[in-house]
Amino acid sequence: MISSLIILLVALVQTQTDPFHRERDLMVRTQIIARGVRDTTTLRAMQTVPRHQFVPADQKRSAYDDSPLPIGYGQTISQPYIVAYMTELLRPSPGKRILEIGTGSGYQAAVLAEITDSIYTIEIIPQLGNAAAQRLKELGYRHASIKIGDGYYGWEEHAPFDAIIVTAAAEFIPPPLISQLKDGGRMVIPVGSPFLVQQLMLVEKRGNQISTRSVMTVRFVPFTRAK
Amino acid sequence: MKRLHPSLLLISISILAYQIILMYTFSITQWYHFASMVISIALLGFGASGTVIALARTWLLKHGEFVCSLSMVCSGIMMMLALPLMQADLFRFDSHLVLFEPHHVLSLVLTYLLLFTPFFFGALSIGLIFVKEVKQIGSLYFANLIGSGIGGVFTVGLSSLLFVQQLFVVSASVAIVAGLLSMPRQNKRPIIVVVVLGLGVIGVIGVKLPPLQLSQYKSLSKSLLPPQSKIVSSEPTSHGLLQVVSSPTLRYAPGLSLSYQKEVPRQETVFNNGDRYGAIIAWSRRDTNHLLDFTTLALPYAIRQPARVLDLFAATGISTAHALTHGARSVTAVEPHTGVIDLIRHECAPLTDSLFHHPLVTVSNLDPRTHLMKDTSHYDLIQLPLIDAFGGTMGLFALKEQYGMTKEAMREMWNRLNAEGMISISTWMDFPLRNPIKALATIAEVLEEEGIVELSNHIMAVRSWGTVTFVVSRSRFNPDEIAAAREFCSSMLFDPALLPDIATRERVLHNAMTDDTFFILIDFILSGHREIVLDRYDFDIRPATDERPFFSQFLRWRTIPHLREVYGDQAFPFLEIGYLVVVVTALQLLVISFLLIVLPLLKIGWRGRHKGWTLFYFGALGAGFMFVEIVLINRFTLYFGQPIHAAAAVLSGLLVCAGIGSYASARFAPTPKNLRTTTLVVVALLLAYAFFLMPFLEATLSLPFGLKILTALAFIAPLGFVMGIPFPLGLRFLGGRSEAQLPWAWGINGCLSVVGTALALIAAVELGFVLVTIIAAGLYGLASLSNTIPRWSRQP
Repeated sequence: MISSLIILLVALVQTQTDPFHRERDLMVRTQIIARGVRDTTTLRAMQTVPRHQFVPADQKRSAYDDSPLPIGYGQTISQPYIVAYMTELLRPSPGKRILEIGTGSGYQAAVLAEITDSIYTIEIIPQLGNAAAQRLKELGYRHASIKIGDGYYGWEEHAPFDAIIVTAAAEFIPPPLISQLKDGGRMVIPVGSPFLVQQLMLVEKRGNQISTRSVMTVRFVPFTRAK
Repeated sequence: MKRLHPSLLLISISILAYQIILMYTFSITQWYHFASMVISIALLGFGASGTVIALARTWLLKHGEFVCSLSMVCSGIMMMLALPLMQADLFRFDSHLVLFEPHHVLSLVLTYLLLFTPFFFGALSIGLIFVKEVKQIGSLYFANLIGSGIGGVFTVGLSSLLFVQQLFVVSASVAIVAGLLSMPRQNKRPIIVVVVLGLGVIGVIGVKLPPLQLSQYKSLSKSLLPPQSKIVSSEPTSHGLLQVVSSPTLRYAPGLSLSYQKEVPRQETVFNNGDRYGAIIAWSRRDTNHLLDFTTLALPYAIRQPARVLDLFAATGISTAHALTHGARSVTAVEPHTGVIDLIRHECAPLTDSLFHHPLVTVSNLDPRTHLMKDTSHYDLIQLPLIDAFGGTMGLFALKEQYGMTKEAMREMWNRLNAEGMISISTWMDFPLRNPIKALATIAEVLEEEGIVELSNHIMAVRSWGTVTFVVSRSRFNPDEIAAAREFCSSMLFDPALLPDIATRERVLHNAMTDDTFFILIDFILSGHREIVLDRYDFDIRPATDERPFFSQFLRWRTIPHLREVYGDQAFPFLEIGYLVVVVTALQLLVISFLLIVLPLLKIGWRGRHKGWTLFYFGALGAGFMFVEIVLINRFTLYFGQPIHAAAAVLSGLLVCAGIGSYASARFAPTPKNLRTTTLVVVALLLAYAFFLMPFLEATLSLPFGLKILTALAFIAPLGFVMGIPFPLGLRFLGGRSEAQLPWAWGINGCLSVVGTALALIAAVELGFVLVTIIAAGLYGLASLSNTIPRWSRQP
């Protein structure tokens, strides 16, 4: 109820200024809230960030579709629901320091930047990284720091981080990222093919203990047990 | 017509070569299945040529020599032009983006048309020769088949010497020479002009051959994106284009333990046809630990100390080095890719401390399955590489025969174990679960068939956040080994998934899962209720067999509505795209073929004698021939251990022998009885092959290579010989009765050959190769039967 009211208020403010606000509103209600994302800060961020500004020009009309989209260089912008779900999993709040590995279009960084002003994001592909930096700057997300480089090493100067999000998942979790995660910190990693994120993994650090938890976004009912 | 046979021979060489070149090209730039789809549709140029000849027969026959020569030259020009045009933005499509961006669909259609033209022009010239000179059809078809056979072997041979772009120059040049040879005595000038133009095209493009543009989703494309990443070596091999990439950001550590705190070293990476083949990890004989120690792949070394290790699919030798680091006294590294072995032996020897020259290492350059069938040694550990890829392969390898992952392969591994021997199989955890479940189902079925009663005492599994390793032991695991496995899990932050005395709680100590589906599935697989899972699961997780060796094929047609519901229409195809593409191809081919077959009837009339016969007879022959070709290539892949040798042996053997059969067909009168008899002989041979070929091949597998070639030819020759007779004999029969139908028959045969290839693949997945052989026999039976129908076979 509360989340719906917030969405309504944000939508009312934006009605006159943003031609895509209706689509965004629909996206939040039908794709995100309907699937169980409840965190109001996340919902507000998803409602605010103009996703259509983060996709290639020829994909703008599909920007709010319930699917990932290609952004070039073999990369994708994740499905809106996945972005919202990962954001909620990170439990971001104002003042928390968050590192993102794999800036891509910059959309995920923008969503996080709506919540906290300590966003650090690293992109290995210069073309993508530079375009994202420019885009974030133009859209007013000046507090999102972006670096072109190898995400393997994290961002030592700004460590430790309350949360790390690895959007360009690799075959292994780089040891430096584990060490740059604060005690009690959370790391989220999607696992899956470019157009079908099938699995999200949450890494939690408590003292010397590190544990992972698979957070399946799609549930299968594989068979009926024999009676 | 002038120099008929040599020009026919050359254009046949050129066309078959071009077909293989396109297959290589698309395997590099896209994926095999899209290669197969694009080329199949382009091959309908054969069918279309029949349609065009039927529609404009009188004019074409009148100008036969001129058109024939000109078509050959045009075929060559279009072959060459296709190379740069395929790389142009207008034509370049990306298989991943076809579902997202409409202009990629347009590019795909344009690519079809672009590649269709060389086949069309080539087939037009061949079809015209056949129709015009039907009385010589035996020797002409002989030249055509011999040419195709030579073209296949020639291209396969050249593929290890020349880059694929250079092969375009070769095939185009051969087609233009064919056109020159068949140039008519009169009206030469236009052809000479076109030949000069063609040579100019070849010259201009050949001076600076355009680089191939890979899909942005190929692993090579992605690896080259970071700054300072570069290709340091590039070499054509008989297995594909082998490339080594150096990058400061490439590292290999699959499912690395979260307890690992050192640096993961950067590595050079080997790519084959744009797909990652393996990493080259620096290794020294003095190393006392290995990066793989921090992955689940180290489980067998954590519980025992295997002295004799068999490393199947050794690739760049990472697992071989891992075994040596753990004190193995002998390691047999089996790797089918000759180029990769050479790379590790020579260029990379300094980096790997001459791993493949190590006195304790024996390198076997065979397919692992063939090695297993030949090898009589016994081992303490047989290890397979990590199955699948991180995040899944989207079914791109669904139709790849994986004889190393079948039940028969598992049984051979089991029988190659010492009393305390182990098999180690690791897979990525995929979601939805497919690979680990199928691997375990294969293990479970084989062990039960080998008389193991308590499976849980012989199978151990350990899971990290991303991978799972199954270790299967011939002997029961003892308490010390079980304790060692637990200690391994604890130190690496892994969890046991299967142990003889496992408790539910300990399965998720470090790596929790959202639900217990994985555990329910693996427990069911090991229980007496396995069939329930195998029957009802959303994916096909039945163990692969030699009959259906498609381990990576998981798609089940009946569950597609459910998958669409769960994943959405746009995303679900990416789950298992490979097999879907083949089926979509087959549907496209059926529709286009139908149109191409029906269209000539507008000209030659719907009614009339022999039409039903022509359709059934030539259609059945076209499809039947391709069914046989697919089966034989598959069977001999296992026999030779190298798909490339198998393809060369089958293509050359079958086509050359069919050519000889065609030549001999001139001795037979074109009567319904002879048509019936020759096709029946094919039926009889195929039925015999369906049941006896595999056992015979298995029995002779250990023969020296030269003798195996002779054995293969002994099998292929009689079949090829007989299969070469019905087509020319049928054309002669038809030529004596209804010449107007000759081009239609040629078109039908061409269309059904292409459709047959796609259908044979689908039938192999759904039914297995024995049944595909029986279907091939059925198709020849249908051809035979068409000669028993009085209305169709009676004399005019």
